[in-house]
Amino acid sequence: METVMLVGGSGFLGLHLIQSYWDVEPRPKIHVFDIRPLPEKISKYFTFDPKQIVCHIGDLSSSEDVTKAIKECNPKIIVHSASPIHGMDKSLYEKVNVEGTRNLIACAKASHVKYLVYTSSAGVIFNGQDVHNADESWPIPEVPMDAYNETKAIAENMVLEASNADDDFYTVALRPAGIFGPGDRQLVPGLRQVLENGQTKFQVGNNDNLFDWTYAGNVADSHVLATEKLLDEKTRSSVAGEKFFVTNDQPTYFWNLARTVWKADGHVDNFNIVLTRPVAIAIGYLSEFFCGLIGKEPGLTPFRVKIVCAYRYHNISKAKRVLGYKPRVGLEQGIRYTLDWMDEVKADKKK
Amino acid sequence: MSATKVIQLLEHPDEFKAAVQLKFFRKQADVHPSSDSEKECLKMLKITSRSFAAVIMELDAELRKPIMIFYLVLRALDTIEDDMTVPNAVKLPTLESFHNNLKKTKWTFNGTDPKERDSITLTRFDKILDVYHELKPEYQDIIKDTTAKMGAGMAKYARDEDFKLNGVRTVKDYDLYCHYVAGLVGEGLTKLITAAKFGSPTLLDRMNLSESMGLFLQKTNIIRDYKEDLDDGRTFWPKEVWGKYAKNLSDFEKPEFIQKGVYCISELVLNALGEAKDSLTYLSLIYDHSTFNFTAIPQVMAIATLAEIFENPLVLKQNVKIRRGTTAKLILESRTYSGVLDIFSHYLRIIHHKCPVADPNYLEISLKCGEIEQYLEELNPDSSHLPKGAKPMQTQSYLDAQKKLETDVPLQKVIEKETSACNAAVTFVGITFVSLLYFAYYFYVQSV
Repeated sequence: METVMLVGGSGFLGLHLIQSYWDVEPRPKIHVFDIRPLPEKISKYFTFDPKQIVCHIGDLSSSEDVTKAIKECNPKIIVHSASPIHGMDKSLYEKVNVEGTRNLIACAKASHVKYLVYTSSAGVIFNGQDVHNADESWPIPEVPMDAYNETKAIAENMVLEASNADDDFYTVALRPAGIFGPGDRQLVPGLRQVLENGQTKFQVGNNDNLFDWTYAGNVADSHVLATEKLLDEKTRSSVAGEKFFVTNDQPTYFWNLARTVWKADGHVDNFNIVLTRPVAIAIGYLSEFFCGLIGKEPGLTPFRVKIVCAYRYHNISKAKRVLGYKPRVGLEQGIRYTLDWMDEVKADKKK
Repeated sequence: MSATKVIQLLEHPDEFKAAVQLKFFRKQADVHPSSDSEKECLKMLKITSRSFAAVIMELDAELRKPIMIFYLVLRALDTIEDDMTVPNAVKLPTLESFHNNLKKTKWTFNGTDPKERDSITLTRFDKILDVYHELKPEYQDIIKDTTAKMGAGMAKYARDEDFKLNGVRTVKDYDLYCHYVAGLVGEGLTKLITAAKFGSPTLLDRMNLSESMGLFLQKTNIIRDYKEDLDDGRTFWPKEVWGKYAKNLSDFEKPEFIQKGVYCISELVLNALGEAKDSLTYLSLIYDHSTFNFTAIPQVMAIATLAEIFENPLVLKQNVKIRRGTTAKLILESRTYSGVLDIFSHYLRIIHHKCPVADPNYLEISLKCGEIEQYLEELNPDSSHLPKGAKPMQTQSYLDAQKKLETDVPLQKVIEKETSACNAAVTFVGITFVSLLYFAYYFYVQSV
């Protein structure tokens, strides 16, 4: 029985990874390495048995911690999905995404682990400019959008550069776009917050921009596929050192997705107030300025305006062709799972 | 042209200019029939379909006669099928054996209602046969084979009492019905086009593409013709769809069912959009310009019609049509493949923006529009959309589209020249008109 080590396995995507590897037949032994243990309360959405998941607590940038964990579980393959979420300080991204990843690669090689799957991000190619049907030939922009995307790009490059048959070390990078699902604390919860704030009537931009969202379970499945391709010597060379965009293969207009979430929550607006992009950016600057004065978090910022007005959709032909990837859960079902999970969390808090 | 049409054109200046350009500036083909029978066939063509006749006349000489004959033969077949005064005892064997008549040199049929405009294709079928036998043998064989399949399909439905009583049941039945009445036409045309070497031979291995060409048009017409068909006692909307919204198809005529009817139309439009990608792929594989026009014009009319009928309660009351000016504009703009892609993109956006959140298929419609838009971008990426160092993915669809776009370059120049000439003329007339008004006003003021 093989062992898989899920770095970042206690996180949002990590739990979905546990589930996807749990569903593999024959089931591998699943070890988790993270800064914190598995959540005490795990959503009913997941069916894996937490007692059978071995958890190693440690600091990803600590050579000692990582080496110790690798020795204890002796993994066939390491899956690295650890990353701080958006909106954090640059130094934290540097520590986890860059130093942490560099350390993990070094420890893996030193411990003779031969395979590594890295969760990169579709954001590595995004710098605020529109992304129309991007594929893997798109370059990393010279001027990054933010520290998150910059450090993810650096880490991805490190991982792919490390892939080398001569060193008997093989890596894959997966670039998911707009991950959402049970455990998500940004996308769907953010939209629900907009609903609770009574702001659903406002539309920023003309809503012609296509966006890719990806259900977390599908992202996790793509990691399993990458693992299987890496471990099979017949398919190894087709994936080793390669990057793959992963989406739900269902690009849709930004506000249509938002409205679908609100509709699923029982809310439908009869009309919209449209703020064009330049107007919204101006309001964003003003909002940022005045909220800064009173020490409050602004709802609308120029950054957020650029995000919601940009086209960001991708061509995932390579993942389909080489990995055999097919999104299992559609957007509508994914939204339903996420809202159900949010309701479950809310109900738990009342107990 | 009636006064209302003139007013309608003036309300849409760009369409007015398109109508002017289409009528006076575009080079027209000069057609000289080579025999009395061919002359007679041309006459029949104009009687049965003025708009289609115009398009057929634009075809290259190699395909003009074969497609004209193909059209008239199918029209004759359709006339028998449509005629409710013909008893099944006569109708069924006539439909099933109709293709055998093509082997004869003299055959006519006087069993259909003489008041039916299209019955001339049957009473004068001998003229059609004269021209048919002048065609190259391979064209004759294609027309005969397709006629056999169409006749069998029509007889199948004429024999189907359940179909006549209850109409189409499932979406699968809907697709099958559309296959018989339209998909087979697409198949026949495709074989004629490839036999003439005017399209990629790979079209013969990808009959799903010509199938979608046919179904896209037929489904659009079926959705649009709700009222007309209902009044004729026929139903083609699949019960699997409309049954979600009403107990009887005729319920949608009632005021309290209008909203449900509109949602039903949305779902049918969504279904029809499922044919769009294959239709666009098909058009990228047609190389001869006149043949491309022949196949592209109905497709762009269809997408424009879908946008017009989408979320339109008038569909439940009358036959909704796109404006004449819009038609002129579409004909002019669809002469190149990039023009066709732009038209599809334009109308997809209209459908997307029209769709209300409350529609039960809101997300599905959004996803379908997104899917087609993504395909449009794949076929012909806007160069400003690609960052430095990135190349479009070299998919087969992309390569075929680029090859097609390349063959359009000389035509693009002809179109630009024509458009410039028309713009100059319209501008000149406009300035003259304004000047005359000004001088008239000036003299009027002076005379006071």
